[in-house]
Amino acid sequence: MSARSIAPDLSSLEVPWDAWGEPFWQATAEHKLLMPRCADCGTFRWPPGPFCPECQSQKVAWVPPGQGRIYSFTVLPVPGDKDAAPRYRVPVLVEFEQAKGVRLVSALIDAPLDGIAIGDAVEVEWLTAANASVPVFRLPSS
Amino acid sequence: MSRAPCGGEAAIVGVGATPYYFRGQSHPQTVYELIGKAVFAALADAGLKLDDVDGFTFFAYGFDPGTITEQLGIRRITFSHIVSGFGGGMAGVLDLASMGIETGRAKTILCIGAAQQVGRRYGQSLTNLGVTPDSVFHRIAGLSGPGQALALSARRHMHLYGTRREAFGEIVMASRAAASTRETALRRKPLTLDEYMASPMLADPLCRLDFCLETDGALAFVVTSAERAADLPKPPVYIAGAAQVGTRDWGRAFFWLNQSDEAFTTAGAGAVAQRLYEKTGVGPKDIDVALIYDHFSPLVIMQLEDYGFCKRGEGGAFVESGAIRLDGSLPINPHGGHLSEGYVVGMTHVREAVEQLRGTAVNQIKNARTALVTGGPAPIPMTAAILRNER
Repeated sequence: MSARSIAPDLSSLEVPWDAWGEPFWQATAEHKLLMPRCADCGTFRWPPGPFCPECQSQKVAWVPPGQGRIYSFTVLPVPGDKDAAPRYRVPVLVEFEQAKGVRLVSALIDAPLDGIAIGDAVEVEWLTAANASVPVFRLPSS
Repeated sequence: MSRAPCGGEAAIVGVGATPYYFRGQSHPQTVYELIGKAVFAALADAGLKLDDVDGFTFFAYGFDPGTITEQLGIRRITFSHIVSGFGGGMAGVLDLASMGIETGRAKTILCIGAAQQVGRRYGQSLTNLGVTPDSVFHRIAGLSGPGQALALSARRHMHLYGTRREAFGEIVMASRAAASTRETALRRKPLTLDEYMASPMLADPLCRLDFCLETDGALAFVVTSAERAADLPKPPVYIAGAAQVGTRDWGRAFFWLNQSDEAFTTAGAGAVAQRLYEKTGVGPKDIDVALIYDHFSPLVIMQLEDYGFCKRGEGGAFVESGAIRLDGSLPINPHGGHLSEGYVVGMTHVREAVEQLRGTAVNQIKNARTALVTGGPAPIPMTAAILRNER
């Protein structure tokens, strides 16, 4: 059986946000993943910021981004006790079917290390940080 | 050979460097002590005095002109400018120096690069910066250094184009073979493909040997007018052209990870390559030796594609053909590069270009007349320079 990626311990992480990112973290508190889309021209932007890079509008609509898929990923050994079983983190870059042009980088948790591929569908999972609910991802079958 | 339509009014006339040290081993010297030693060596090489210096150019890397002026005792500066963008801005110091000379702002300009990693590591530079509303996602993902973030690009390049780890290994082996004859290099033992493949994965698909060295050291270059260079002791190396380009497709690069889909599997240098070739009238076929920013071996492949030495997606096969070896069609990094000689954030590449064009390199490429020096894939501006030993 192949090793599986761990979930990071984020319990002491204080997530900082500014006015433009606040709606994202308000939504995650309710376990909803929303992404910012320009309310004038429909272009997504990431990270959340004051202007649309396409039309420079400041109007934003926060919308569900649709199905996430793996755009790329890497596997990192976690430093630790040499005698203990090795542990791995998997940073994953996710793109969304209904939020073209932006990607969210997060952790892929509980995934078999030899069973991850670019293009795989992923589901959102929630981890608890000191002051926020944090979206991470998992493979549906795992 | 095509003649450069412009540029070449400024020339590098002196080079100085400290020894290269493994990370932290330059202690208890300070970074300003390292810089001073490189500056004095460069001025001696140029046959000039400290009082001749009236300009500085740097890239953003954490030391400041005021301290250098105080500690070295430089009398008067009329030009002092910094290219932003970390190692991506490295070759831009030559552009700034050319501007200073061409516009008469200064007559003798020092280009300085230095690195010292006492109490901090560039390999963990993403966490050194603290958590911001933007960078918190890198933290959640577990990306703490450039190599980990660039592993995402390397994997996607492999996925789209079939690029193999053997190609990454060839870059490291070629670098080590070149470094084996160079006394200044920190990693000189030749490397086999089996040894490469056995190296532990640090950020799959990047193994430990795909990561460059973490080095302390300083380098300095003296730039003056071509006219004045003719009266100085060393053969001038002309700055045929240098370019600084940034595009919104690239932005903060791996600090962002939202580059355009087309740019994601590049080194972000397509636009700077185009501008540099237009500016100098030099093309990829005119380059005799290329100093390619090799902080992570897969990024060499992407730069070879960006600079037009092969087509997009064919960089792996190009490298595996042997083309980048000292006897290949495009020798790269004959000094061993960042992977094997040392990493002073690109400035060792400028030194090697000068030695190649003076004809004094340890691994001299025969009849080298035109050299390309590239800055690293990093936040904009991306920069590169073409140096020549004839105007």
